[in-house]
Amino acid sequence: MLSLVEVTKSFRQGGRELPVLNGITLDVGEEFVAILGPSGCGKTTLLRIIAGLEKPDSGKVVFYGGEAKVGFIFQFPTLLPWLTVLDNVALPLRANGMSWGEAREKARKYLSLVGLQAFEDFYPKELSGGMKQRVNIARALAVEPTVLLMDEPFSYLDPLTAESLRSEILDLWTLGVTTVRAMIMVTHSVDEAILMADRLVILTPRPARIVGVVEVNIPRPRDRRSPEFQKLEDRVYELISA
Amino acid sequence: MSVVGAPYLLLCTGASLMRMVAAYVVSVATALVVGTAMARSRLVERVLLPVLDILQSIPILGFFPAALALFVRALPPGVGAEAAAVFLIFTSQVWNLIFGVYASVKSLEKQLFDMAKVYRLGRAATFFYVCAPASRNSLIANTLISWAGGWFFLTSSEIIALGSAEYRLTGIGTFIMEAFERGDALSFYAGVATLLAVILATYVLFLNPAGEEVLERKLLSVRATYAALYGFISAAWSVLANALVSVERRLRLPLLAAKLAALAATALLAFAMLREVPRAQAFDASGLLPLLVEVAEQLPVSVARVALIVALSSAISLAAAYASYARAGAAALVALAGEALASIPAVIWWPLLSSVALGSPFGPHVVAAIVMLQGALWYLYFNLLVYGLASLRRELDEMANVYGIRGWWYLRAVFAPSLLPSLAAGALSAWGGAWNATIAAEYATFGDRVIDLGGVGALMAKKAAAGDAAGVAVTALLLSLVIVAVNKTLWRKIFQFVESRYGGGE
Repeated sequence: MLSLVEVTKSFRQGGRELPVLNGITLDVGEEFVAILGPSGCGKTTLLRIIAGLEKPDSGKVVFYGGEAKVGFIFQFPTLLPWLTVLDNVALPLRANGMSWGEAREKARKYLSLVGLQAFEDFYPKELSGGMKQRVNIARALAVEPTVLLMDEPFSYLDPLTAESLRSEILDLWTLGVTTVRAMIMVTHSVDEAILMADRLVILTPRPARIVGVVEVNIPRPRDRRSPEFQKLEDRVYELISA
Repeated sequence: MSVVGAPYLLLCTGASLMRMVAAYVVSVATALVVGTAMARSRLVERVLLPVLDILQSIPILGFFPAALALFVRALPPGVGAEAAAVFLIFTSQVWNLIFGVYASVKSLEKQLFDMAKVYRLGRAATFFYVCAPASRNSLIANTLISWAGGWFFLTSSEIIALGSAEYRLTGIGTFIMEAFERGDALSFYAGVATLLAVILATYVLFLNPAGEEVLERKLLSVRATYAALYGFISAAWSVLANALVSVERRLRLPLLAAKLAALAATALLAFAMLREVPRAQAFDASGLLPLLVEVAEQLPVSVARVALIVALSSAISLAAAYASYARAGAAALVALAGEALASIPAVIWWPLLSSVALGSPFGPHVVAAIVMLQGALWYLYFNLLVYGLASLRRELDEMANVYGIRGWWYLRAVFAPSLLPSLAAGALSAWGGAWNATIAAEYATFGDRVIDLGGVGALMAKKAAAGDAAGVAVTALLLSLVIVAVNKTLWRKIFQFVESRYGGGE
């Protein structure tokens, strides 16, 4: 689906050059990739480069198969407080050429996919944290992307809500009811990465390099207490602390 | 007043109201575009922030004769005077609106703009769905101040004398002044009463309901009229948004082309204005030194007056804020009284209080103080009532309650310090407003009687009366330099101190 070729990036901070990404090369196919690394290692920067929010200093991002349509699930819901749930989801469609009527029709479809059809006329401040994050997800799916990017999408939620949203995302992924063909998720939770992804890409502390790639060949639904899960977890921790 | 007088009065009131609305619409549009641009672009911010900082604190009235000359020469006479009037009202409304939009957009989470970029919201879509709605509340809060500021300058804009040439626009301000000049007391008072009624009506019917919603405090208001206006505005707004977003989508105007077009338009405008300047009265450079001496002589008088007015305004505003805090019932009335008094046009005070002014040797000073107070007080008053009271922290109130801190000690240890940041912000604006008002306060004429209290304001007013537009502008420029210097030194120190000691949390 896409390739990263020798991507490097540094930020200027207090007059000093702060290298963040140190030559990242990675191919992503039709799969679910988790990018794993310690906090502040630059994994979010990597995701932002893929999304086009930042430009790499050198190297490039190549999308295959025509124009890349990207959905982005932000860490925080990032909803516009003055628009209803429905219009928050419909706005990207309207801004890219649909009429409000078509845009809302499509937004409704994806809101019902995340179980919020009854809340379309609510304003964000009237929703719980988990529901807001669902709107964030519905908005990302509604643009009908082929690549879905997720920036620690569960980290701001309470553990119970996070767990149920994880399985919802997995269901959407495995059932193939969306247009998404590749997912890239940034996380600092080893457990979450193994539970959800097909492949883990493990980064070093800043400046980040890829220290290892681990395939997760455990059939879904995965059981955290199964021996193969635990074995994989140990291996990943070894790579991280190496 | 004759029977023919009443319809004429209505016509005048309507004309003035139209002028106010036109200036206000231009102000809001300018504030939205300029404020957003400043918040979104480093470059625009760097250039415009200091410029606006200066523009809002200098005596705009002093540049008015020059601006008028430009407008009248550049446009057909009738249109030119009308445009000049709208422009003057605009300059009294726009600055705080711009800063309000700028602060609102600037304080938006960065992630919202990431969102806009990821989902390819164009400039129009980002403006209409992200920046503009984010500015709504601060626009409404600032409108309560700006609307009063506009009325205050209305009459100054309707009768404009440029030496021998005088432009009189049909309007309530002209109506009142003409009635006074021909000694028609009935028409004079009818005019003042109508003006007050219209000002109050605009507040109670439209602005207060909006303010009530945004500020979450009680103001005297009628909901139904506001709901109708709101419906109309939001319908018009969404039509505009839809049209522009569609246009942008179709064109996908390359950024460079858009920037070039803006640059070309600015250059054209600057060229057109420069072409007019030589035709305007030239300033004699040899007169600069005497003028400098004159300004230096008159400056201390005005500085003393302005400082006194700012101090007085602070005391009155704090008292009003405390009254409205202590008695919830009084709050709505205090606010309405402020709105009405703040809106009374500057020039009307002189005829209105002519008996005071001409009655005793101190009379002129009293009226001058009232006019200046009126140009200054409201910035402080509204800042404290709108932002100050909102910054009073509930936990501190509860603490004071638990430990029995009341009365004077409460005022001194909790109330006043909590309000200090808004007091300082308001005082800075009040200081600018007082300077601007000196032109109307220090010099007045009643038929053949002339009241000249000295000061830089009187100097400018005299030059304006003599038709010396360039002289007025140069005096105003010199005064602006002094004001900006004080802003950058004294006021800056005050702000740093207040912010570090009394601002923010613990």
